[in-house]
Amino acid sequence: MALDDDDNPSLAPSPSPTPTPSTTPPAQAQATAEEQADLLEEDENAASQDFLAFAASLQYRKTAGVSAQTIRKGEKDFESHGTRAQADALEQSRGAMRDVLSYTRVHPGGGAAAARGWYFPAWWEGYQEREEEERGKEKEGEEKRPFGFVRERVVVLEGSSVASQALGRAVTGQAKDRPARGRDWLLPEEALYLVERGSLDLWWPVKELGEIFPPDGTVKEGKDKEVGEEGEGEEEVDEYEQGFPLSLQAAYALLIGNDGERGKISLQKFQVYSNLKRCGYNILRAPPPAKTSPEPIIPTPITTTLWQWFTSLLTKPTPSPPTHLPYGPLVQPGLYRSYASIYRQMALLPRHTPSTPLPPSPSEPTTQEAPFTIHFHVWKSAQKWTKLRHPPPDFHLAVVDAQDSSVPTLSQITPLLNAMPSDTGRPEWATGGAGRMYARLKHGRRNVLIAVVDHGVINYMRFAEGGFVGEELFGRFDGVRRGGGKGGGAGGGGGKGGGRNNGRGGRGGRGKGRGRGR
Amino acid sequence: MAETAAIPIIHANDGAKSNGPDVSSGTLSAKPPGPRPPRQNLNQIYTLPAPIRTFPLPTFYPNNPLSLLYLAYAWLSQVLRPPPNEPSVVHTGYWDPETRSVHIRDEPSIRALWEQGFYGKGSLSRSEPNWLKRELARRGSPEGKTVSEARTELRREERRLAKWERAKAELEAIEKQRFAEAAAHVAAGAKKLDDLEDSVEVTKSVVAEVAEPAVAEAEALPTEPSTETVPELVAESPEVVSADSPSEPKSPVGPAELLALPNSLTPLHGVASQPLAPPQKEPTVLFRAPVGPAELLALPNSVEESFSRLDDARKVPEEHAPVYSAPVGPLELLLLPNSHMDLPTRPSGLGIFEPAAAPIQPTVQEVHLVDPLSETLPEINGPVNEPTKEDSLEALVEESLDKSSVVNGDNEVVKPPAALIPPVSEVPTVGTSTPESDSGVPQSKRRKSVRFSPTVESATFLHYESPISSGPNADVPKANGDVPTPETAPATGLLTTGSSTEIENKEHFQLSPEEAFFLTFSLGALRVVDPITDTPIPTEHLLSLFRAHSYFPPQPLASAHLRPDDPFLVHYAVYHHFRSLGWVPRHGVKFGVDWIIYARGPVFDHSEFGIVVMPSYGDKEWAGHHKQEDRDRSWSWLMGVNRVLSHVLKSLVLVYVDIPPPGVFDEVMRAGGIAAALKKYGIREVMVRRFSANRNR
Repeated sequence: MALDDDDNPSLAPSPSPTPTPSTTPPAQAQATAEEQADLLEEDENAASQDFLAFAASLQYRKTAGVSAQTIRKGEKDFESHGTRAQADALEQSRGAMRDVLSYTRVHPGGGAAAARGWYFPAWWEGYQEREEEERGKEKEGEEKRPFGFVRERVVVLEGSSVASQALGRAVTGQAKDRPARGRDWLLPEEALYLVERGSLDLWWPVKELGEIFPPDGTVKEGKDKEVGEEGEGEEEVDEYEQGFPLSLQAAYALLIGNDGERGKISLQKFQVYSNLKRCGYNILRAPPPAKTSPEPIIPTPITTTLWQWFTSLLTKPTPSPPTHLPYGPLVQPGLYRSYASIYRQMALLPRHTPSTPLPPSPSEPTTQEAPFTIHFHVWKSAQKWTKLRHPPPDFHLAVVDAQDSSVPTLSQITPLLNAMPSDTGRPEWATGGAGRMYARLKHGRRNVLIAVVDHGVINYMRFAEGGFVGEELFGRFDGVRRGGGKGGGAGGGGGKGGGRNNGRGGRGGRGKGRGRGR
Repeated sequence: MAETAAIPIIHANDGAKSNGPDVSSGTLSAKPPGPRPPRQNLNQIYTLPAPIRTFPLPTFYPNNPLSLLYLAYAWLSQVLRPPPNEPSVVHTGYWDPETRSVHIRDEPSIRALWEQGFYGKGSLSRSEPNWLKRELARRGSPEGKTVSEARTELRREERRLAKWERAKAELEAIEKQRFAEAAAHVAAGAKKLDDLEDSVEVTKSVVAEVAEPAVAEAEALPTEPSTETVPELVAESPEVVSADSPSEPKSPVGPAELLALPNSLTPLHGVASQPLAPPQKEPTVLFRAPVGPAELLALPNSVEESFSRLDDARKVPEEHAPVYSAPVGPLELLLLPNSHMDLPTRPSGLGIFEPAAAPIQPTVQEVHLVDPLSETLPEINGPVNEPTKEDSLEALVEESLDKSSVVNGDNEVVKPPAALIPPVSEVPTVGTSTPESDSGVPQSKRRKSVRFSPTVESATFLHYESPISSGPNADVPKANGDVPTPETAPATGLLTTGSSTEIENKEHFQLSPEEAFFLTFSLGALRVVDPITDTPIPTEHLLSLFRAHSYFPPQPLASAHLRPDDPFLVHYAVYHHFRSLGWVPRHGVKFGVDWIIYARGPVFDHSEFGIVVMPSYGDKEWAGHHKQEDRDRSWSWLMGVNRVLSHVLKSLVLVYVDIPPPGVFDEVMRAGGIAAALKKYGIREVMVRRFSANRNR
């Protein structure tokens, strides 16, 4: 993970399903994190590993050591210029790195912090999730339970820990006498993520599930705490009779596999999951794609004022389909009152809009092709979010391997984008007229994220459906000539000004603006 | 292409006519940004978005009854005396198969096509055909200063200056820091001075590394010119430096003395600014104390060698005067000025040091003590209070300069006469590499260094500099002969008073096939003429011509060789798509993409989008056919394109073109021509950008 330049461990607001062993004083930690986030906002590429920053966030106790003030951002020195100040700064940075690296990570054994999970890969193998019924329910009422991937769940949590607030899933609708009823079951990536961050002890069971979690009705969900204590009591007797703990390597070996293997997850997907999780996102596996395509987006009807209707009576009605000579000219010689009429005659190629999609050619695949499917739903962290109740996802994410795949072809990207909900950006853009045209265009109509993983380096790309067809520039030409009569806002000047403000605020010049490569 | 090759020769002739001394006004880039001419009203020039005029009726305002009259008048006049059908002007272009473009030769047509929709490109210009204007400006006419190339030049110049200022400020800050640290060391190390009485002299040369060189140089009292230049040659070992001057205390040459040298620098800093120290030649050296046994063993030998070398060096100045040959030997090369920096600082004959260039030199030089050669000349500027040394050295340098105004061998362009050189000089790191490596002088330790030059040298190619004169061979005749040969003359004589009417416009205007076809097929505003038969090419034939020429080598015109995924057709589909929406597409190869699109045109705004055309073979019928270009684009390619585009603040758009299969295409072509066939092409735009997980939380 450290290879990724987007990855700055100090900046992640700790997602902490379990509190970290050393509970940070909240005010200070938050302050530094915010400060850093601001710094990062300023410089888009300054996401390099900064041990000073990390050290500062770690060593809050001995503040005499490294402070966040000594962070050097921006220009780097490429050579020594012989001053002592430079040498000192370098030495200080090295010292900070040494401090960070020598920090002792403690996995607190047993008890409070780390939960215990048992690896039962075969328990849900025969389970059939009734997704049809759930979907039906989902439509009528908003009471929906997201698709559970129960077959994939392989690790059962013992007791309820903080981890189960955001991760895992209790399988409902089980008979009373089933063992481990009401327990949280983890997906492989969730279990591995927890193991990796030291919040979960993964155990290999020797006994059957029924023996470890006896099915008798004494176990109730409401009394989890009691159960936990009871379990502890058992452990004291002999916990190694039931099984033995697994190492991190063993956890990787058990939980990482190829795509399509039940109860495992591919390494690329796990890396993306873990990266986003550490960055503070909420992330869930996306449910399998729906059979029915989402309803087409209904465009807002174009309102015509009375005056427009009146003038349309006076002017010639536009010929409905302009007939084209086989070899042109498309624009018939004649007298033209406006450029719009000229450009309309030139419209030749079919134009794709979400409301009027291109007629589906027999070739156009409606199903998503293998690597280009939605794997994860991602939510920003700053929301009310629980694992069962959450708003529609902020991002839809596909994970591809950079070596095995290439830039998506039309037949790959089209179904992917078609499955996405409409997202036209901020509402003020829609009403912003020509000034916000670039913002609208760049945002696109709907979008999808593709995480390209190249040997562990993750690069997120955002693909959005372009809306050039919706922005007919020739509508402005007539306005320009008249010097901005009625539709003055649509004049070229407005568009130009908006464009200036959009792209290039404060950066020196275009092209060679950055003198020093960073 | 023949025309472009001819241009330098024309300039050469112009230059030969008037060998005037006032060169300065000829260089565009060196000029300070003066008062610029008022901007033209772009909205007036580029009124029409397409080469078609419209005749809108005046607006009727219900609250102003008179406007109804005006409307009626306009309508009536158009009915009674109708304006000519639009497009009223059909321009003529000549197909040029060699460059695969359509040439426009008619001046009004060129202006019209450029101003009404930004079609085409001047063959000698970046985009707008303005070679003539630039040429006029180069010859002194004021009107060419407004061309975009000139503005770009100015902007670059300003940016270069700003960067230089920034680098200078940084260096000064470092200098200040060094001073402060050195002063701190003085305070700290003052008490240790007593113990170090005997090693003071030796350590002084070391001090220079840390201390400000100007201080050291101010103390320097050089005695003879030869030793002025030579110490730097052997500056690597300080004992050699001091060995040749008997007046100095004995420097440690023997192994025992060397071992007695202080190991740490800390006591030495105290001596750095001792004003009582005996005057001594202080080369600003990068001193490396000889500590390894091998180095120590090698020392006596090297001293012997250096003595002989020093003797040589003393002889050379006297011998050098009569020798008029090109400087090839190591010492001659060393004696040459490294740049023209020394020239302006010497008012001829007066021997008064000109302090104008002095303040910059020490600071700059401090960092650039890279090669020993470059260190010789800054010494001239250093000690302000030493006129005698100035004289002697100047004489020396002037000698060598008069004989050969070649400055420093291969890398330098031929210099104009000395009086023309701007007074602010340049740090001599420019062209010293080759002679130095040729010479037998032991190379000093090079330190990697970020360099900058106090003068902002224009790195742009000024096309009046004849390429002939810049080679090393051309330097030699210049060095020997007193009269400039005709080849080198244009470097000096730039300004002609020639009138602009004599200048023939050497530029033509070219339309790319996509542009030409759009103008012909969509707007009907262009007629493409076969250059051989001089007859207009019908549009159908023009299409197959363009399609055939989109391959290399061009395919035969028979339709069997032409396919629906011809590069021309695919690109034209994209071009037509954006043109018909009102965008202005232009070729984007400079930005690593296929097209860049402007909302209004390159004159008004920057293009916000770069477009990569992605041919797509979605139809199942394509399965059996050979595809034109079915390579997979790698992710690293996409990242690269995206990085480049975002560096120039553009967004990447992948435009997928769904190509109809050959069966469908041929059938439609027969029935409805290209107009119907183009309707079978599907266009999907996909905006691509990088998503940063850190900034979207």
